[in-house]
Amino acid sequence: MAESVIGKRIPKVDSREKVTGQAMYAGDYRMPGMYYGKVVRCWEYASAKVKKLDFTEALKMPGVVKILGPDDVTKKPYNTTVMKLLVPEIFGEVFGEIADLNIFNKIVKHQGDAICGVIARTEEAAERAADKIKVTYEPLPVLMTCEESKAEGAKKNGYLFTPLKPGNKAFDLPASFFPNQRYGWNDKDGKTAMELFDKCDYVIEDTYYVPKQKQCQMENHSYVAHYDERGRLNIWTSTQMAKPVQVLIAELFELPLTRVRLVQTIVGGGFGVRLGMIGEPHCCAMAMAVPGHPVRMEFLREEDWVASETRYPGHIWFKCGFKKDGSPIALDSMYMARKGGYYTHGSGPPFCFAAFIHGMYKWQAMGCQTEGYFTNEVPTGAYRGYGNPQLAFSGEQMITRMCKELGLDELEWRKKWHKGIGDETWLKGVTFASDGLNDCLDVAAKESGWYEKKKKYAKQTGVKRRGLGVSVMQHTSGAFPMLLEHSVCTAKLNEDCTVELMQQISDLGTGGHTAITQMAAETLGFPMEDIHLRSGDSDMCGFDIGAHASRTVYCAGPATIEACESVKKQLLERAAQLLEANVKDLQMKDKIISVKGNPQKSISAIKIAKEGVYNYIDAATGKTIGIPGQIQGYSSFFAKHCSPPFGACISEVEVDTETGEIKVLKLVNAHDIGKAIHPPSVEGQLEGGAQQGLGFVLTEEYAYDKMGRVLNNDFTDYKMLGPSDMPDAKIILIESAPDPIGPMGAKSCGESALMGPIGSVANAIFDAIGIQFKEAPITPEKVLKAIKEQGLQK
Amino acid sequence: MKKRAITLTINGEEYNLNVPVHYTLLQVMRDQLNLTDVKYGCGRGECGACTVLLDVGKGGMQCKPTDKKTTYCTMSQSKRKPILACIALAATMDGKSITTVAGLAQNGDLHPVQKAFVDESAIQCGFCTPGMVLKAVSILEKNPKPSEEEIRNGLEGNICRCTGYVKIVKAVQVASKKTATGKR
Ligand code: FES
Ligand code: FES
Repeated sequence: MAESVIGKRIPKVDSREKVTGQAMYAGDYRMPGMYYGKVVRCWEYASAKVKKLDFTEALKMPGVVKILGPDDVTKKPYNTTVMKLLVPEIFGEVFGEIADLNIFNKIVKHQGDAICGVIARTEEAAERAADKIKVTYEPLPVLMTCEESKAEGAKKNGYLFTPLKPGNKAFDLPASFFPNQRYGWNDKDGKTAMELFDKCDYVIEDTYYVPKQKQCQMENHSYVAHYDERGRLNIWTSTQMAKPVQVLIAELFELPLTRVRLVQTIVGGGFGVRLGMIGEPHCCAMAMAVPGHPVRMEFLREEDWVASETRYPGHIWFKCGFKKDGSPIALDSMYMARKGGYYTHGSGPPFCFAAFIHGMYKWQAMGCQTEGYFTNEVPTGAYRGYGNPQLAFSGEQMITRMCKELGLDELEWRKKWHKGIGDETWLKGVTFASDGLNDCLDVAAKESGWYEKKKKYAKQTGVKRRGLGVSVMQHTSGAFPMLLEHSVCTAKLNEDCTVELMQQISDLGTGGHTAITQMAAETLGFPMEDIHLRSGDSDMCGFDIGAHASRTVYCAGPATIEACESVKKQLLERAAQLLEANVKDLQMKDKIISVKGNPQKSISAIKIAKEGVYNYIDAATGKTIGIPGQIQGYSSFFAKHCSPPFGACISEVEVDTETGEIKVLKLVNAHDIGKAIHPPSVEGQLEGGAQQGLGFVLTEEYAYDKMGRVLNNDFTDYKMLGPSDMPDAKIILIESAPDPIGPMGAKSCGESALMGPIGSVANAIFDAIGIQFKEAPITPEKVLKAIKEQGLQK
Repeated sequence: MKKRAITLTINGEEYNLNVPVHYTLLQVMRDQLNLTDVKYGCGRGECGACTVLLDVGKGGMQCKPTDKKTTYCTMSQSKRKPILACIALAATMDGKSITTVAGLAQNGDLHPVQKAFVDESAIQCGFCTPGMVLKAVSILEKNPKPSEEEIRNGLEGNICRCTGYVKIVKAVQVASKKTATGKR
C-alpha cells in the first residue's frame, strides 16, 4: 500500500485551474455561431395579469433574431425541483406536488416572473431589444403574508395562485399520512404531546420568526444551449443535480432522454440554489427556436435575486413541557411558511424542520405541523440546511430559555437529553449508528472557556456586555431512505495503469471531487496524480442524484470505492492466473502484485493493464501475450443509511447596549465528522457555513416594498458579513465516533455548518443582555428597541 | 455605435482594440477578447469578482551609474493598483497595462499568493478566487508584512460566499511570510 492519503492536508484536485483562471464556468463558454438570449422579466409588479405583449418596436432593433412569447414555447407547466424523481409517485401525490410554472407567463406571481425572451446576435442587441418590448399589465392584489393569502383565498372568486391549490394554501402535512397532521411520535401510552402538557411542571410557549435568506452564490446563473443537427438538445449548466435536471428538461420538451445532453460545468457556488432548474428551460426553449445556433444566456445579478429560489421564511411556534429537573416531556410545534409565488419544493424544508426536531432530543412525545401559503414573493426552495437553520434559531433558544428559568446548566442538559446510538434519527425507523456529540460539547466548552467565562460574565455593568451561547445540531448524510440515493461510478483503467473515474457528481466547491479522488487512490493504492475524476457530460456518466443533502462523500464516495475495488479485484485475478497463485495470497503495492511472503513471485500491474489493451499475438506460439481486455470497474450504489452527523457550537458576543451593535468575538464549532477524508475541505465547509449562519442570525433578509418589489437586490443593501466582520472562528473536527456505515467512517459536513453559529449567537445575545430575540435577523435596531422596551435584563 | 481605438496591454501582451465607448473593461475582456478569467459577479462594483491590477508605476530593474565605475541598481516591484473592471470604461484605458490572474504566474511557477491559496485550500468554488488573489497581491505589494487586520480590511470589497475568509486570510499571511523571506 502506498502511503495513505485519507485525512491528509493535500491540495485540492481542482485548485490550480481555479487559481490561474483556467476553470471554465458556464458563463465562460463561447461557441461558433452563438446567439444571445435575454429573458424579459416583470420588474414593476409582483402580482399582475399580462394584458398585451407588443414586440413591434423590438423586432425592428438591429441584431434581433427572434422574440418568443408565452405561446411560442411549450405551455407544459413544470416544477423547478427534481423532487419527484427522488420519491415514488405515491409520495408526490401524498404531499400534493404540482407543476405550476410556465417558461413564459401570462400571470405574474412575483417580481421577476419571466414574460418573454429575446434572441439576438449579441448580448447588447438582446438587451436593447428587450427594452423595447411593450408589456401592458393589469395589476392584481399583492399578498405578502400568510394571513393575507389565506384571507384572500377564503373569499369566493378570491385570487388564486393556482387552481390546483384552492385557498392559496400551498401545502400542509396530509392527515392521511400524518396523524393529527403532525410529524412526530406519541409516548409509550399512546398519548400525543398535546395530551401531556398537563403532566408537566413547566411549560413554555414561544413564537419565532425566521428570515427570507438568499444563497448569494458568487457565480451568476449562466447557460449555453444548442439544438444540434442530430436533433439533440445540448445544455451547459452549472447545476448541482446534473442527471435529474437532464431528465426534467427531457420531460418538459417531450424529448427522449438520449436527445438531451447535459454538460455540467464547474459550479461557482450552489448552497441549494442550483438544486433544480432555474434558467435552463428558458435557455433551452430559445435554443430550440434557432436550431444550429448555440444560445448563451447569463443572468444579471439583480435577476438572481428575483428569479431563483430562497430560504423559506415564516413563523415558528413552539410549546414545550418539562419536569422540574428539566426532563423533556412534550413538544408541540408549527412552522407556518411563506411559500412565495410557486410550489417548487412544497413542504420539503418545513417537513425537514419537523424531522430535525425528531432527531434531536428525547421527548416523551413530540409533534410538528407545517403549513405554507402562496405569497407574491420570490419563490422559496432549497437553501443549505433545508429547514434545520430555522430550528437552530427557534428550538435552541427555547431550550436555553428553559434551562435558564429552571436554573439548569444548558450545556449539561444538552449532553444528557440529546438522542444517540440506537435512538431514532430525523426519520422514523432509522436509528443513529454513531454519536460524537458529547465529545463535541466537551471540546467546544474547553476551547471557548465556557465555564470560566460564564462565571466571569455573570455580573456585568458596562455599556458593552459579553455573553456566551451554545447550540447543538444533528443533520443528515444524504437523504436515504426518504429520498432515492443512487450513484454510479465507472473506473476506467488505462493501459499505463492510471485511472479515470466517470461519475456525474458536481463539486460545488466543497472539495467533494478531492475527497472522492482520495478514496479512489486509497482503494487502489495508486498515487493521487494517477487518478482523474471526470464529471459533467451526461453522455459519458451513469446515473447520479447530484450534490444535495450533504451526500457527495457519503453516497457518491462508496460508488467510487466499489468501482475501484472492482478494478483492483480484476487486476489481482489476472495476476493470480499469470503467477499461478491464489488471489487470496496476493497483495498490490506501488502497482506491483506479489505473493504475500514471497515478494519474488510478482508481476507488474502496469504490465497487466498494458497487455489487456495491446493484446498482441506472439508469432512464435500463435498465442496471445497476456490476458486480453481493458479493465473497467463499475458500481451502481444505493445508500443504506443517512448517518447523521452531530455538532456543537459555542459563540461569544459583545453587545453594545447604546448602539445595539452585536460583535461576534469568537466562535468555536466542533463537528462530529466521523472521519475527515480531506480535513481542509471539512474545515472550509464549516468556516464558510459560519458566514452564512451568522448572516441568517444577524444581517440577512429580503426587504420588500408594499408593491412586493425587492428593495435590496444587491450586495450593498443586502448585507453579508465581509472579511473584517467575521469573528475568530475555530473549527474542531471530532473523529472519535467514526461511523460504521459511512465510507471510511465519514459522515457529512456540507450543510451542518450553519446551525451552530445561528443558535449559539442567538443564545449568546440572550446571555449578554438577558433578552431573547424571537425574530431573525437580530439587527442593532431590534436590540435597541428591545432594550428600550424591556430594559437590560441582566 | 461610437467606438474608440485604444491600445491596452493585458498580461504583457499589447492589444489594439476598437471599443464601443460605453463598454466596460469587463465586457471588452470577456466578450471581445474571451479573457474569461476575469469574472462577472455583480456588474456594479460591489463584489470584487472582476478585480484586475492596473500598473501605475514602472517595475523591474532600474540602474543608474553613480560614478564612472559603479552602477547602482534597484529592483522594484511594479506598483499595481486593484481596479474593478465592471465599472471601468474600456475607452479610458488607452495606453494602460493591466494584469489578471492568468498573467501572475512566471515561467510556469505560480505567484506566491496563488501558491498559498492552493496550499492552504483557500479556494472552494473558485469564483471569487481570481479577484481575491489579485486583491491579495496588491495588498502585499503595498505592504509586504500586513497585520491580520490590515489583510481583512484590504480584502473588503471582495465577497466570498464559500470560505468565511478564514483560509483566504491565512493564505495571504503565508504568502506574506514567504515573500518577506525572499522564498518563492
Ligand atoms: S463584477 Fe462585482 S465588482 Fe465587478
Ligand atoms: S470560493 Fe466560492 S465565492 Fe469564494
